Amino acid sequence: MTCEEFAMAGLDLDSLPEDSPSKRAAVEHLRNCPHCAALQENWRTLRVDLHLLGQETNKAEAPARVEMRLRQDFRTKHRTMKARRAAVVAAWSLAAAAGLIAAVSLVTWRFQRNPNVVRREPPPQVSPLVSAGQFTGAAAVSGIELGDVLVASNNSGDFTLLPGSMPSAMEDATVVHVEMQRAALGALGLTVNEEHAGDWIQVDLLVGNDGLPQAVRLPENSN
Amino acid sequence: MRTVEPIDRDDALLRRSAKGDEDAFLLLYRRHQAPLYRFALRMTGNSWAAEEIVQDVFMTLIREPKKFDPERGALGAFLYGVARNRIMKHMERTPRDLSLDAKAEAEPASLKLASQEMTPAQWAEFRERREQVRAAVLELPVEFREAIVLCELEELSYEQAASILECPVGTIRSRLHRGRALLLAKLEMLRDVPRRANAGR
Repeated sequence: MTCEEFAMAGLDLDSLPEDSPSKRAAVEHLRNCPHCAALQENWRTLRVDLHLLGQETNKAEAPARVEMRLRQDFRTKHRTMKARRAAVVAAWSLAAAAGLIAAVSLVTWRFQRNPNVVRREPPPQVSPLVSAGQFTGAAAVSGIELGDVLVASNNSGDFTLLPGSMPSAMEDATVVHVEMQRAALGALGLTVNEEHAGDWIQVDLLVGNDGLPQAVRLPENSN
Repeated sequence: MRTVEPIDRDDALLRRSAKGDEDAFLLLYRRHQAPLYRFALRMTGNSWAAEEIVQDVFMTLIREPKKFDPERGALGAFLYGVARNRIMKHMERTPRDLSLDAKAEAEPASLKLASQEMTPAQWAEFRERREQVRAAVLELPVEFREAIVLCELEELSYEQAASILECPVGTIRSRLHRGRALLLAKLEMLRDVPRRANAGR
């Protein structure tokens, strides 16, 4: 073992495993080298000094005020996080409420502008034109002539297609509740009893995308 | 077989702490603060700096708990790593801070006992020597000082020191060797050592 090897591995003889080749070589080198022997002795003295220095602070701990400050910081951080979370929830709630109010206002405004537009309904069932022979609720449509003429069937609450309307174009149709004189039904291609032509009746019109009535329904209370 | 995770394991405590469990945080703090404080105190030689460093380390844990990745190592090693960064910053700010304010701290019981057995002259000599050793340690370059502090003052094994300093055990051995040589030189303990027998080889 050279002096360099001894300084690297043998200086701290106590940390070397007993009966290991390196320890035996270090002890052998120590016997023959006064330089390393003196170095070893000085290191032992210094090690005692270092040990004493270590003992001075081996029970040292951070003062209690550090813990207090950290606790305060911990609480502040988590309280802030909770407050921030609550603020986010409140902000979203406010935004949702504002959206709702805007939607209701829009519907109200549209209704006030055009009272005929009351609501959109899902596309209603539209029955084809019925002939007088198939018509079972004739009494319900007083004022409409029966026979080989077009009549509005209201026995099932279904709409009756007006002449020239295509059933397939009803997907996005709108139901419009209107009050009109019975005579106006004539303009839609229906036959009208002239005796009651001046009566005001409630009529549901199914208006297609093009804005033209496609089918008609006479609610029972309009009779 | 599924293993049950103990609730007082560091990573479990850290998860609870991140969710706002103050008790879990305090448990972690009390478990790790003393060795970190001693390390910072021995590296800086200044109890105020050590206090500030410990506080900074745990502030990091409060504010950025996700910085710790349990797969990369133990929480203790992570905290030592953060402490080392803070120590470096402290030393950049005050590179020659050799405050010996530990003098003001109470003498440990073992030293009090020793003082009673010594004459006043011996006691004065002993204290002078201790200050010399302390100053010599504080004057070591940081990488050698870390190795000396961990292995000689904190009395950790080479493996533990290597894990904390995130380097191989061989590096610790080599840093210790250089650190010891520097200490002996600073304390003029090489003056009486005879020349090497194989110096010319």
